[in-house]
Amino acid sequence: MIAMGAMYQLVPVAFLTPIWSHKLGYIQFVITALGFSIFSVLLGLKPEKAIFGGILAIVGVLLFLIQMARTILSQKKKNKMTYFVLGALSSFFLTISAGFLLAWNLSYGEIISHQTILGSHIVLGVVGWFSLLIFGFSYKLVPMFSLSHGYSMKWAKSSFVVYITGLLLLILSFWTNFIYFETLGWILLFLGFLFFTLDIKEILAKRMKKKLDKPFIFSLVAIGNGLVIHFIALLFHMAGYQNPISWSWIIFLYIMCWIVFSILGYLYKIVPFLWWTYKYSNKIGKEKVPTLKDMIHESWSVVLFICFITSVLGLTVGGLGQWSHLVITFQGLLTLTSILYTCSIFRVLLK
Amino acid sequence: MNLEKQVAATLFEVIDPELGVNIMDLGLIYSIMVNENKDVTIRMTLTTPGCPMHDSITNGVKHRVSQLDSVNVVKVDLVWEPSWNPSKMSERAMEMLGM
Repeated sequence: MIAMGAMYQLVPVAFLTPIWSHKLGYIQFVITALGFSIFSVLLGLKPEKAIFGGILAIVGVLLFLIQMARTILSQKKKNKMTYFVLGALSSFFLTISAGFLLAWNLSYGEIISHQTILGSHIVLGVVGWFSLLIFGFSYKLVPMFSLSHGYSMKWAKSSFVVYITGLLLLILSFWTNFIYFETLGWILLFLGFLFFTLDIKEILAKRMKKKLDKPFIFSLVAIGNGLVIHFIALLFHMAGYQNPISWSWIIFLYIMCWIVFSILGYLYKIVPFLWWTYKYSNKIGKEKVPTLKDMIHESWSVVLFICFITSVLGLTVGGLGQWSHLVITFQGLLTLTSILYTCSIFRVLLK
Repeated sequence: MNLEKQVAATLFEVIDPELGVNIMDLGLIYSIMVNENKDVTIRMTLTTPGCPMHDSITNGVKHRVSQLDSVNVVKVDLVWEPSWNPSKMSERAMEMLGM
């Protein structure tokens, strides 16, 4: 939901094109929110009925995809970001389709390749949808937040082609059990991420704003995390390491340290902007208005982000060592930090 | 002080809310023209094409300049060519941004 909401804000900024239909946006929001809520509750209480919530969620997502496709395709001059975002949207469509098949199977149990679909669903969701989306928008947000000029984005095309190919090969390996597809898939995913990181490194090297905002630094740290996790996954695969518990922790770290940390950092920039625009946009030039930095408590964000990192590390160590008391302690810290983070975001609305 | 100079001085009070620096020191104002009717046309840019502060900053410029007694109509032309680059910033802006 956050990613979808952020796209309504970022697509017009990144692609210089207005949202196709604001009315559809509100309708889509209601349907998607209801769909995911009902789907989640049914999955927990009555998995055999989850298909009904799933259908509603899919309708919501399809409306979102139509909205974004119509908006992005009306962009006059396509750029490199366009392809990342279109790749992300395509992955999202496939993720949802695979999710629908999984929900169907829980209800009617007619599809035998459940595990293969599940693997494809996870990879398309976390690697395809989220990573490609963060790549694409980072090419706009990182220069904007760091006031960078004169950078080349020379690796963007290679990053897109290599990462997408790696993604497809990895999924293909689930369906064919062809080990070389998997090996090549992991290598290409790592290289694609590396190329993206090289571009970000150049953007930051050419930045004008030397003192970056702390939440934004957290998003940048997430990129480093993503690169390291891709490398660890590649190493695990090359070493023939098959332990499912360790792989599940790789997925956990991928989601938390790369995707979630990126989103948490960017939200600290995006939410104050949205509220500022709503509340102060018409007051600029008439009276003294706060800057975006005044809208957030930056020193709190540092404490929160340190707590996020500590809790994820603690959870991982506890999980891998199977020390339940550590897991409970750090899961508690993660929950508490998440609640405080949410409060700090809501606090912006009081400014 | 002539009207162009008054407008320029006024624009030092319009702050880019993301960077916390005024738009004059950032070098976002390309030209200020005043005709015989005291209509003011301001040609300006932003640091990034598609900057989400687009409407806020251009409206801010209009509001602030309109407050000058002698000004009649204010028009803001937002242009992307020539594109903004850091060399357009004043030393004070550079200092404020920690450069």
